[in-house]
Amino acid sequence: MTLRIAWRNLWRNWKRTAITFAAVSFSTAVLVASYALMIGWTQVMEKSVTDLSVGEVQVHHPDYRSERSLYDTVENPEMVLEAAAARRIPASARSFGFGLLSSGSKSAGGQFWGVLPEAERAVSDLAANLLEGDYLGPSPQRRVVLGRKLARSLGAAVGTELVVVVQAADGSLGNDIYTVAGILKGVGESLDRSLALIHRQDYEELFVFPGKVHEIVLNTRGAMDPELAAAAILPAAGTNEVITWRRLLPTLAQMFDSMIASVLIFGAIFLLAAGVGVLNTMLMATFERIPEFGLVKAIGASPWRILREISTEAVILGFFGSVAGGAAGVLIALRFERHPLDLTMFVEELNFMGIAVTNEVPFALTPACVWGPVLAMWAASVLAALWPAVRAARMKPVEALTHV
Amino acid sequence: MNDMVKLEKVVKVYGHGATEVQALRGVDLALEAGEFTVVMGPSGSGKTTLLNIIGSLDRPTRGRVLIDGEDTTRLSASSLSRLRLTRIGFVFQAYNLIPVLTAYENAEYVLMLQGRRPDERREKIMGLLRTVGLEGMENRFPRELSGGQQQRVAIARAIASEPELVLADEPTANLDSGTAASLLDLMAQLNEEKGATFLFSTHDPQVMRRARRTIVLHDGEIAADRHGPAGDE
Repeated sequence: MTLRIAWRNLWRNWKRTAITFAAVSFSTAVLVASYALMIGWTQVMEKSVTDLSVGEVQVHHPDYRSERSLYDTVENPEMVLEAAAARRIPASARSFGFGLLSSGSKSAGGQFWGVLPEAERAVSDLAANLLEGDYLGPSPQRRVVLGRKLARSLGAAVGTELVVVVQAADGSLGNDIYTVAGILKGVGESLDRSLALIHRQDYEELFVFPGKVHEIVLNTRGAMDPELAAAAILPAAGTNEVITWRRLLPTLAQMFDSMIASVLIFGAIFLLAAGVGVLNTMLMATFERIPEFGLVKAIGASPWRILREISTEAVILGFFGSVAGGAAGVLIALRFERHPLDLTMFVEELNFMGIAVTNEVPFALTPACVWGPVLAMWAASVLAALWPAVRAARMKPVEALTHV
Repeated sequence: MNDMVKLEKVVKVYGHGATEVQALRGVDLALEAGEFTVVMGPSGSGKTTLLNIIGSLDRPTRGRVLIDGEDTTRLSASSLSRLRLTRIGFVFQAYNLIPVLTAYENAEYVLMLQGRRPDERREKIMGLLRTVGLEGMENRFPRELSGGQQQRVAIARAIASEPELVLADEPTANLDSGTAASLLDLMAQLNEEKGATFLFSTHDPQVMRRARRTIVLHDGEIAADRHGPAGDE
């Protein structure tokens, strides 16, 4: 009977019910879609950070990050690489060094990255971000892939020969001629201006630094939690520093976290707005029915019964409103999950703290994106109805019966 | 005989200070089980207040109200709800049906609150609606019923649980004389067959003629209390 009364009461003023239903549905739909957008965006940005070059976990000599010395190399890199391989964690060893690159009358400083191209492909997307030309081949061929701005500074194009001069590890002057194999797209300010990617064997010859590695990058591309990946290779790392990207780039990590927090705040505002809508409806519905509540109290209904009857209306309204809104939000999120939102119309090149981020933002629909807002909106609707319900339940029957 | 209802020096004051109104001024009253009593008096004499206080819809400012020896002025809101649910039936002047319930559901409501089984409720209510002449109108909503038909539903609801005490505040005020007469017949029959105590407040001479006891209220005090219908000296 309670359900029947509640249902019929909702239809007594169907326009008011429809407006409240629409408010609850709209708010839920916006919440579901915005949560999916924010999760998708955060995932894309995290992926940009980790997959472009940083990786999920890095291993260095304990002093390397503070000193950036050529001689602070990873101890026993083979053991780390073997430990990663044993856990099927893709890993790539990188050797770094600075030098001068010249083309004709133009010259510029650059940071050389000596990598094994296939291993590097497994941990970073640099190979997939070529503006022109090719990536490095499997064997050393004195070929270099340049950052976009570095290539521009040198006036270099694919096929251009560059004279390279470096301070080798043994104190000698290393020099050679390299051919530009490819030029990268914008991948972040720092890499754009300085990256000179070469085969690790070429690096070892140029810098006279065989078998030395400055960084080992691990990247499971989301298959494993970075903390777990770090823990997996920690025993093999010895005195080396093992650090996740979150600790390596704390400001960026905090920014991503704050994006999630801002969505939660945004969500709370919507919940409040929808809650006020339901409160308003329930207040009006309750006030105009006060003599009715007086009647049912007079004939023996307990205060609890009144509370239950009014709350049931909010439960029904909140349920259908939030479920309908949740369904609409899912449809919106699925649409943009399949066809990501293109931000090119707002900004041509998206860069966060020097790291390039894709302009296409896919929505990421997770179960929590749906049930979170649906349940929260439902709860907000019921909570909003409690106050008028308690007021009605506590009224004296005679006052309620004669209420005008 | 035991008193079904007993009022001891009941005072009811509304408002305070300059706006204070004494609706009841030290009323002493006893009703025995099975009485068919009318309270009459001019408007503002305190008839409705008296019924509200006896029915525990309102609390007296001072004095005691006893139902079967139990002081209702000391009961909690929940206990009063329980008392009204199990022992008192109300018929109000303005029909007072729940608009979203059908005639059947309105009459059934009290039995549902009492937790009676659906089949028991159905049998009881269908029989009652037949008795009050609403057979075939069970599924009509209040807006689809005339004033007299609505009042019949209200009476069916009031007596469905066979309460020991039925309080009826101007039950015939909005009815034509034919309908009023048939409803009064019904209530008199219940009084005789079931022994239910009836207390009416009314201005209606038709009701007054049926009373076996008449109480006259004037300015919140009992001005007269006599056995027999109004007008019989």
